[in-house]
Amino acid sequence: MKRLGRLPLVALAAALPVVAMFELVATFVVPAPEAAMYEPLESVVAPIYQPGDLVVMSPRWAEPNARAVLGDHVMRLEDLARSDARRYPRAIEISLDGARSSELAAFHEKAAREVGPFTVRELENPSPERVLYDFLDHVDPEDLSVSGSEPSERCRFTTHGEVLSGGLGGNPTFPRRRFQCSGGAFFGVGVTVIADEDFLPRRCIFAHPTEHGARVLRFEHVPLGERIVGHLGMYTIIERVRGAPIELEVSVDGERLATIRHEDGEGWKRFDVPLGAHGGASSATVELGVRSPDYVDRHFCFEATVR
Amino acid sequence: MSGASPGEAASASEAEPTAASKSSDPPPPPLLEPSTRGRFAVTVALFASVLTLLVTTCSGLGYARDEGFYFEAARAYGKWFELFVSDRATALQRPATDAAFGVNHEHPALIKSLFALSNLGLERKWHVFDEPGTSFRFPAMVLAALLIASVYRWGERRFGRAAGLVGALSLLFAPRFFYHAHLACFDVPIAAMFFFTVLAYSRAVSTEGSYWPLVTGLLFGLSLDTKHNSWFLPFVVLTHLVVLGTNAWLRRERVWPSIHRSAMTLVSMALVGPIVVFVLWPWLWHDTLTRVADYARFHLQHEYYNMELFGRTYWEPPMPRSYAWVMTLATVPIVTLVAGAIGAARSLFTAAKQTRAREPLEHGGEPLLWGIAVLVCYAPWLRDSTPIFGGTKHWMTAYPFLALFVASGFEASILATRKLVAALRNGWFAYVVALVVLAPSVRESLHAHPWGLGAYTPLVGGTPGAASLGLNRSFWGYNTGAVVDYLNREVPEGGRVYIHDTAWPSWEMLQEDGRLRPDIRAVSAVSSADFALYHHEQHMQGEEYQAWVAFGTVRPDLVRGLDGVPTISVYRRSSAGTR
Repeated sequence: MKRLGRLPLVALAAALPVVAMFELVATFVVPAPEAAMYEPLESVVAPIYQPGDLVVMSPRWAEPNARAVLGDHVMRLEDLARSDARRYPRAIEISLDGARSSELAAFHEKAAREVGPFTVRELENPSPERVLYDFLDHVDPEDLSVSGSEPSERCRFTTHGEVLSGGLGGNPTFPRRRFQCSGGAFFGVGVTVIADEDFLPRRCIFAHPTEHGARVLRFEHVPLGERIVGHLGMYTIIERVRGAPIELEVSVDGERLATIRHEDGEGWKRFDVPLGAHGGASSATVELGVRSPDYVDRHFCFEATVR
Repeated sequence: MSGASPGEAASASEAEPTAASKSSDPPPPPLLEPSTRGRFAVTVALFASVLTLLVTTCSGLGYARDEGFYFEAARAYGKWFELFVSDRATALQRPATDAAFGVNHEHPALIKSLFALSNLGLERKWHVFDEPGTSFRFPAMVLAALLIASVYRWGERRFGRAAGLVGALSLLFAPRFFYHAHLACFDVPIAAMFFFTVLAYSRAVSTEGSYWPLVTGLLFGLSLDTKHNSWFLPFVVLTHLVVLGTNAWLRRERVWPSIHRSAMTLVSMALVGPIVVFVLWPWLWHDTLTRVADYARFHLQHEYYNMELFGRTYWEPPMPRSYAWVMTLATVPIVTLVAGAIGAARSLFTAAKQTRAREPLEHGGEPLLWGIAVLVCYAPWLRDSTPIFGGTKHWMTAYPFLALFVASGFEASILATRKLVAALRNGWFAYVVALVVLAPSVRESLHAHPWGLGAYTPLVGGTPGAASLGLNRSFWGYNTGAVVDYLNREVPEGGRVYIHDTAWPSWEMLQEDGRLRPDIRAVSAVSSADFALYHHEQHMQGEEYQAWVAFGTVRPDLVRGLDGVPTISVYRRSSAGTR
């Protein structure tokens, strides 16, 4: 202590005023831009946006501010609730305070400009995965028929279904456009958005399993590539309830190619089904069957693409 | 409770108790030289100022979810009080007590009774406040102001006026405390009752006779009737008793004389406390043992709600053991933490030195008592099965004791300065430093208002930094109060609003206050709404997505929050029309 001389006293005397001054200054420095400061982004992002681009706000917590300014045209629900970014050839990343999206790490930067506190980057995917067919885009009576196997029934398509939202522990919103089967709104088949295990939005086809047999979604005139890639799961709060496993059976032109099983706790689970000899066909019938040994609390949802 | 005895007045003028002042130099003047009258005047002025500040800043604050439930309970209690006045015999019958006190019987009655009496008297009889909601909040604000004044008194008695003020105002302007101090809830009231009980206990230990042990027992009973954090008070006293006994044993003195006052107070708490809670909580008047067991079981086996930490929502054990410490570091102003750490280290150093020298503990072990209280208040979160859903409020009972360490740390800093620079020995220098030390806390609290639960200190980069780290930015749905101007302006006549996490009675209180148009209808499903509120909380994001699909848009019509971090969004159905 003696060797330190007066240093401890000086430290003790100075600590609080110095820390206080530092903290006070810091409180004026740290704030992020208020919502209104996002407005100039519109005049920068909208002109460079091309249909099919993915627009990402980093950090993600700032995204509502960006959505409020850029709107549905640029920040489309389909893109916000994507299951992966690999299919996108281009992306526009709006970055605040140096934040970057790990999802776009493999993309190459083509251009960048500063807009106030933001950096707007145009990014290019060096190897986008070409999507030949997105099943979510074909949930309509021209391309899809929905049925139940036990008892046998054919579900009717409606554009005026009752829209229902279940709140925190309930169902995702049942859309107005859907196939309606017997048993009530829970047994409709339509496109909605769920929150996965990380509470990220996932756009998917809601297809609750039936008490007996399977719910069958039959897509006609599907162009085939090499494989069917998708994800399956359910709203994470419902998945906590713990119930029976759910199976998605994938058949092409009558041949069962795969059965993907989802257990509670697996979250938004990716699957990849090689099409084998069917690959490359210009038109095929793809049947997706959903079944569970116990259908209670099985708010099943999936997305699938042909690649 | 805070009246000074002559002995205390003497100790107040000995305002620097420890090593820092022991030198050959002439003793520096105390941080103030308070007269008893001056001390009382400052205490009263502080109480009045704090209460005024809280009352005048509460109208911008929406109603938290739990407040709504307590409004309902208080209204039921209020009817019982009216019955008690008009027909006492009927009021004391089981049907009447059960009907009133059965509402929200998972929490004790004292504070809800005060809410009810305040509403009956200050609002319905005398129309004191502009908004009825304030009448329910008022008793908790009074207790908050009393707590601040009491912290000041204890801090001032030990460390002088400037230090006492720094300690007390550091507590008030801890942003989360400042937020909770406005609410018709139990968290600040139990922090106050907990502190009052420990304060009375410390008096019991340092005095003779049965007065203070009895007062401690009475206050313990009131604490029991406030919130279940009070169950930890006996552990504080018991641990302090062990510390005193150990110190006596180490000094090779008889143990019993050192601990008999603590033991006597414990007995008083055990005898008086249950009687007080029984008398003041009519729910316990019938089926007493069953209902006490139910009450204990409810809290010991409390269900788990969701809470986010570092981007992950925890909803079942194991809960992160770091939660309480991380959130304390992230939400209590840095200067408060540093001052508190200096004060705590100073106390530990002194206690260790005295123990080595086989001397009695300073001030009867008071600083150790504060440390014990802090540790006991945090102890439940050392278990990974303790719920964490309450954010910082559940260990807020520790903060007044932290504030006393802040006072100690501040005094140590001032004494060190005076040793270095003789010219700074005048009393006003301490007040200048006090202003500097308090400035960040005041700035953070007032800046965060009315987004108190989203307040984070610069240690984690403020609210934006906390959002990037994945720390919770809101719960309880109170932010609805921050968008009433928008709703009043935009929602068409009779329009329907999905109120998300806001409790119905909390929404109704906004309308009763006149803050929200009475024709706007609350609905419980986003699909049946014209406008949808979304209170940003990680585990609730599914509800935002429900709004996207139901309204066919991802574009919020309004986003508000603290420092650019969205805390509440409002979605608008395209067919909603305009006002």
